[in-house]
Amino acid sequence: MKKILVIGWKDFTLIWRDKTALLLMLAAPFVLTLGLGFVSGRFSGGSTGLSHIPVVVVNQDQGQLGAALVNVFSSADLAALVAPSTGADAAAARQQVAADKAAAAVIVPAGMTASIVPDFTTGQTGPAVAVEVYANPAQPVSAAVIEAIVNDFMSQAETNRVSDAVTVQQLLAHGLVTNAQLARLAPELSGHGAASQSTPLIGVQRADQTQTGASQALAVDALAIFAPGMALMFLMYTASYGGRSLLAERAEGTLPRLLSTPTGGAQVLAGKLFGMLLTGVAQVSVLVAGSSLLFHLKWGDPLALVLLILAVTLAATGWGTLLAAFARTPAQVGSLGSALMLIFGMLSGAFIPLRTFPAWLQSLAHLTPNAVGLDAFTTLARGDMLAAIAPSLAGLVVMAAVLFAAATTLFRRTGLVQH
Amino acid sequence: MQFRPEERLAVRQIIAIAWKDTLIRFSSRSELLFFIILPVVFTLILSGGLSKLGQSDDRVPVLVVDQDGSALSAELLQTLGKSSGIRAVPMAADHAAAEFAKNSTPAWLTVPAGFGAALTAGQPVTLDLRALPNNLNALAAQRAISLASGQVGRALTAANASTVQAERLKPFTRPAERQAYFEASLAAARAAFAAAPSRVTLTQPPSTRGSFNGNVQASAGQLLTWVFIPLLATSALFAFERQSGTLRRLLSMPVSRAVYLLGTIFGQLTLALVQMALLLLVGTLVLGLNWGASPAGLAAVLISFGLAAVALGTMLGTFMRSESQANGASIALGMTMALLGGCGYPLELFPQAARTAANLLPTAWAMQGLNNLMLRGGGLAEVLPQTGVLLGFAVVFFGLGVWRFRYE
Repeated sequence: MKKILVIGWKDFTLIWRDKTALLLMLAAPFVLTLGLGFVSGRFSGGSTGLSHIPVVVVNQDQGQLGAALVNVFSSADLAALVAPSTGADAAAARQQVAADKAAAAVIVPAGMTASIVPDFTTGQTGPAVAVEVYANPAQPVSAAVIEAIVNDFMSQAETNRVSDAVTVQQLLAHGLVTNAQLARLAPELSGHGAASQSTPLIGVQRADQTQTGASQALAVDALAIFAPGMALMFLMYTASYGGRSLLAERAEGTLPRLLSTPTGGAQVLAGKLFGMLLTGVAQVSVLVAGSSLLFHLKWGDPLALVLLILAVTLAATGWGTLLAAFARTPAQVGSLGSALMLIFGMLSGAFIPLRTFPAWLQSLAHLTPNAVGLDAFTTLARGDMLAAIAPSLAGLVVMAAVLFAAATTLFRRTGLVQH
Repeated sequence: MQFRPEERLAVRQIIAIAWKDTLIRFSSRSELLFFIILPVVFTLILSGGLSKLGQSDDRVPVLVVDQDGSALSAELLQTLGKSSGIRAVPMAADHAAAEFAKNSTPAWLTVPAGFGAALTAGQPVTLDLRALPNNLNALAAQRAISLASGQVGRALTAANASTVQAERLKPFTRPAERQAYFEASLAAARAAFAAAPSRVTLTQPPSTRGSFNGNVQASAGQLLTWVFIPLLATSALFAFERQSGTLRRLLSMPVSRAVYLLGTIFGQLTLALVQMALLLLVGTLVLGLNWGASPAGLAAVLISFGLAAVALGTMLGTFMRSESQANGASIALGMTMALLGGCGYPLELFPQAARTAANLLPTAWAMQGLNNLMLRGGGLAEVLPQTGVLLGFAVVFFGLGVWRFRYE
């Protein structure tokens, strides 16, 4: 037992002296988590990282609607989301979009108010015109946000127009007013219905934005997906690094030397596995602690978290061991390990949701410690306790057992582990 | 053009070194994983190509729980069903909760009980949307739901306004009378909205190659990422030769430092160009992508990016002590620089400081160049600034690499 601990501790201390290994084990997952946190808006408080979208508004309308739309863009509500500037020349505004200086130009044509708000005296509206949203194709998400703002505004204006028209039409149809009375009542009727209602009749409230009441329980911090996702991806690097060191010792002759001492092959293998496990647990723990301190990320039930870290590291170590048993040279473990790290990372669902994959690939993803582990980590982050992740823990332990068994069989063939 | 004997020798040496590096790199078949298999698989996954092969409907799925069961809630579901962006998946509340907890669906919408009754009475109603905070699909779902609820709500708003005005002038004597007036107003409002002209038009620069296509971003990003990582791994070639002592042996041969480095760079760049050509083909044939109208512009961006990346790999190689160290660093740096350079997600989603910092990354300039070609319909002239900066990176990295290069 002591020999196993000594071999494991030796491997553990060796890897912490390797600066590049530390870069991969700790710095890379942190930087990638940080980048994905930016994208998701985790650090800006929104649902995406969008803020201060540059937009040029050109108002050629002489009426109140054009001025109101300009005011919408410069309102306090949108101050963090958009950075509007006004222009008089539509061609110059389009040029700014073409030069990638703005995400979109909003061009309000002359006669826009007249086309929606009826003339008091005649009751007629002017020819139909449309607001132009000139979108920057290289900033598609920002341009879509600007389009949505304009759509909301124009939809409200259209609703007011139809409300007024229907009101008049129905009053006349039901004989509640005459044409003669209508001229007198028109200013009074206009704008009493829909126009007085600035919020839509059917609102949509997003739970992850409100963070209140029952919604809060289901809200998942974006980093609660990215941080474990990246940690698990680079845990696979650590696992394959351990596997590589086993073959490296054989290639460099230190393994035969070790086996010539009164140390059995099984002990050497167990020591190596212990070293991989120790390193993996330390790596994930450092990432968990670091993200808790730096990003105030809540990982959930501490006991369940510890067990999960152990189980997921065990399963990853299983993959690393199988890789070492399968490969012939340390370089082969290195390149296959890197490939496995990237494939498993992608299949975890941290970069894109698993639902994007076909059903067969979703099932396949659950053969990786990354997908099973990430699922369990996010379950804990949502506030669930140990019982909720018990099936995942069992799955990871079974995965590890199967992988170790397969690796041992292969090692027996190569003579590392004697019967 | 006549070459002098020493120039001919140098060219032969460069080709020999390039061939030797190619043999070393492909001595393990696992290299094919990085060269073509993983890039193609990742491009298909990230661009939705795999879902296209497995499913016919690639709209964003939204779980919808209808707790009301009224005609108006059915109308809302029907309107959602017509959305081009989302696919409404009707479900019971407990199933939806379980499904949403799996994080496999970006949004879950609940239409509350009393929805229809409240709307008929002119009372505002709030739909409960639970959305994953980490993805753009959730944002798209929210936008599509707001649009659909706006379409359903606006006719009701107008009908209610009309009824309120009528009631103000002459109160209704019976609820049925009010209801009939409301129904008539609602029918008139729906007809008016159906006949209403479009009030917003979306336009793009005339040279734009169609509307934004997520596949373009994914494919271009994956192409750059998967070419970038192996080119950074040029550092592993130097580390391997230094480790195995063959670099030292070169000292005794008539090969200058510049010729040796040029040979390695030439070989890796040629392989990268072959890899890029294969990925361009996959994008065109499998995903039906249009890579722009300017082959010259595309070649300029990709070659200059390849040069910048291989020069960075050369420089990196002077810092690495072992092959495994170099391979690891290439993956870590490659993935990080690709993400922060906009290869995974558009740079517009990053805060201003990160966008400014991205100017220090070759990946960001290459991505900008490809966007100019593929999304803006630009030609060679439109990508000259990006090409120039990438060549500048190449000169700086190569200069530093030569300066730091040691045989031992």
